[in-house]
Amino acid sequence: MAMTDAALKDKIEELIRDNRILLFMKGTPDSPACGNSMRAINVLESYGVEYAALDVLPALQPLREVTGEIADWTTFPQLYVNGQLVGGADIVEEMDESGELGEMLGAERSEPAPQSAKQELQADDPQQSPPLQIER
Amino acid sequence: MALTDDVKTLIEEALPGSTVEVVDEGGGDHLRVDVVASQFEGLGLIDQHRLVKNAVRERSDTGELHSLSIKTSVPD
Repeated sequence: MAMTDAALKDKIEELIRDNRILLFMKGTPDSPACGNSMRAINVLESYGVEYAALDVLPALQPLREVTGEIADWTTFPQLYVNGQLVGGADIVEEMDESGELGEMLGAERSEPAPQSAKQELQADDPQQSPPLQIER
Repeated sequence: MALTDDVKTLIEEALPGSTVEVVDEGGGDHLRVDVVASQFEGLGLIDQHRLVKNAVRERSDTGELHSLSIKTSVPD
């Protein structure tokens, strides 16, 4: 049976609560399906932090509605830190440059090569994808 | 009306007195906007972006506007 919107909203709120750093994105970190999701991933990975990523594409419209209700934001990516919506790719990049993001994440950016951070992440594979099943 | 003009008008209507520059970053539906508005004063980035995004929400929801990159600032 398809998940109702109310159940989906509960599930999303639970994910936001349970994952300190959570990215709603189009596609997966290894294979982002949109340039803006890729921008957010690139910034996140440059910090080498553990984060959860949820691919919104399997339920794009219902998730737009649910995130609109939760945080008045209907586009993806969306970065949540400590239960709060930080923003989309533009804000993530802007706060990365200003240093605010690092403070929020409690991490230092691994300079100079984001690419090496990414490889480390893949090698260690600390990244967790929440097991969200959306049947539609 | 081209989407760029449409988006500019929608944002200007939502934020009277603002200066809005819209750039087509590709295909006519990937736009970048630079918005200077006194309404942003005292707001965090996320609320500034909400004001802009909500102004064009109808176009985003229909998929007409595929991607909107936003830069906000307060007038000097």
